[in-house]
Amino acid sequence: MNGAQHILEAFHRHNISTVFGYPGGCIMPLYDALVDDVGVEHVLCRHEQACALAADGYARASGKLGVCIATSGPGATNLITGVANAHRDSIPMLVITGQVPSGLIGTDAFQETDVLGMALGIVKHSYLIDNADELPAILEEAMELAEGGRPGPVWIDIPKDILLTEVAQAATPTEQKPARAQTDITDALAMLRSAKKPLLYSGGGVSLAHAETAFREFAEASGMPGVVTLKGIGNAGKHNPNDLGMLGMHGSRAANKAVDECDLLFVVGARLDDRATGKLDGFAPNARMIHIDADAAEINKLRPADTALRGDLNSILEAFTKALKDAPLKIGDWQTLCKTWCTTGGFHTADNEEALAPITGPAFIRQMSRITPDDTIIACDVGQHQMWVAQHYHFDHPRHHLTSGGLGTMGFGMPAAIGAQFADRSSTVINVTGDGSFMMNAQELATIRRYNLPVKLIVLDNQCLGMVRQQQELFYNNRESQINLDDNPDFVAMARAFDIPALHIERTDQIRRGIETLLAYDGPMLLHVSISREENVWPIVKPGGSNKDMIDEPRRTNANKEQVA
Amino acid sequence: MSQPREASKPSYTLNCRMAHEAAALERLCQVVRIRGFRISRMNMESAGGHLDIALTLEGSRPISMLQSQLEKLHTVASVDLELGDRVQSCSA
Repeated sequence: MNGAQHILEAFHRHNISTVFGYPGGCIMPLYDALVDDVGVEHVLCRHEQACALAADGYARASGKLGVCIATSGPGATNLITGVANAHRDSIPMLVITGQVPSGLIGTDAFQETDVLGMALGIVKHSYLIDNADELPAILEEAMELAEGGRPGPVWIDIPKDILLTEVAQAATPTEQKPARAQTDITDALAMLRSAKKPLLYSGGGVSLAHAETAFREFAEASGMPGVVTLKGIGNAGKHNPNDLGMLGMHGSRAANKAVDECDLLFVVGARLDDRATGKLDGFAPNARMIHIDADAAEINKLRPADTALRGDLNSILEAFTKALKDAPLKIGDWQTLCKTWCTTGGFHTADNEEALAPITGPAFIRQMSRITPDDTIIACDVGQHQMWVAQHYHFDHPRHHLTSGGLGTMGFGMPAAIGAQFADRSSTVINVTGDGSFMMNAQELATIRRYNLPVKLIVLDNQCLGMVRQQQELFYNNRESQINLDDNPDFVAMARAFDIPALHIERTDQIRRGIETLLAYDGPMLLHVSISREENVWPIVKPGGSNKDMIDEPRRTNANKEQVA
Repeated sequence: MSQPREASKPSYTLNCRMAHEAAALERLCQVVRIRGFRISRMNMESAGGHLDIALTLEGSRPISMLQSQLEKLHTVASVDLELGDRVQSCSA
């Protein structure tokens, strides 16, 4: 068995059935081995960046390891953005690239790049194989590393000659070490019980730890009002009465108000990212903090924790749940206050009922949230539409919301939707994108067509880079600079060129029918939605500003000041 | 015209033990740089399968933040912070 065949054998052993890749010179031995392998489905994307982002989407939707493959040189460099995206959001990913033959490394050979050096800052770990006999052990270690602890991408760069060399050593699967946890919750529980206004603050770490059920049981048992980060959306489910929604730069006024007023922050699987906290000095100024995370390096990184628990979120949360079921918290007044804030300062803007009115992003997303099935997976791109989805779509599970949180990668959405559809063939998968993001990986329409994936594509088209335009309007004296996209191609014609049916809507009375048509169609379809160019995402915190200094939509400012005082 | 002198930043010494693998030093130095520290002195010795690296660092951020990031590196076995005549030890 040569190195290439051994890689496929390792895939089988780890039940990896779907990989995303693009062939080329130095990875050809692996592609040659794939010809004889029927157990691994190789998804050929049209750009290596999309391979990595599709593997990322696959991992987010399934909770399993995502795998992407590319050749040396440009193949590897094209992967970089996708791998960085996975790194920033702690997505388990195995990256395999071919490298020029061992003897040519360092000679500026054709399609040679220093992949190991380039990728150092965007991987959990990386390897350059220099001995074929080490390949089996490294593959095992890489897969365990990618999924263990705080997950992340692990990159194996393999010279072509190693892929062709007979591998002597038999593979020995490494034993999965159970995650360690600090389960002595005595101090934290005492702190929680002494708080009058405790607030549950959760992030993407909940689903990364596969702790969704434990989290919900804890949230219910504690009755704490809760806020979520962008990646934590869905943690509490759709029907938790104490959920205040997303906090931060585009969070709800209610969520930010609760953070400002609370006397205890109970942080679960969140890293206190600047988009969530705003200016740290003004963040939760009256609160003590309990921080629970799998990654020790996140504790005390940006704000000192009064008590920290590191380890497996499941066992830690279960310990709290048990204690709280025996003796519930007495925080009725605080719950009531937060519910009042949620009513007056949540994401509730009135829909324009006028049939001929232009479509707004929030109105469209709210309608979509009402119509789509509960298990719908939404893969967003980056920009205004991403925030409208976060604000106005009601998610029942964090794995239903695929969004590029840390890196903010335009072009993430379509490949991620492709990956998600491979992970879950039966669920409705929708890519909600903007006209800017759509064009970043539009070539993947060919991948959707090739595999006849029933992915639904919704392009909210405001003919500009809306989020940049919005910030230029608000913070740069409305001096618009390089945001105009009014020469966009005809997106409907473009989809049809890929043999994907498409339709266009532009009026409020067309929203429902448009979405229903999309959902009813048995196959991929694109809905092109013209929306107002001037629509902004509200509220907003000025970058670097404090969350309590949120800027609201001008016409709502006075009303809100009165309501959420 | 002379530039105003920067206020001197705190200095620390970290002793790291890590596996002797490809790009070991690059990996270590990359983390030091991105986390806001400057290497003012470095000494490395190779013994058996590992490297012992003594780093003298300058930086205004808390050194514990860097220490915890270095400990996360898969091939780092231990990171010890010298505190005068004491050593604050942490094994990864």
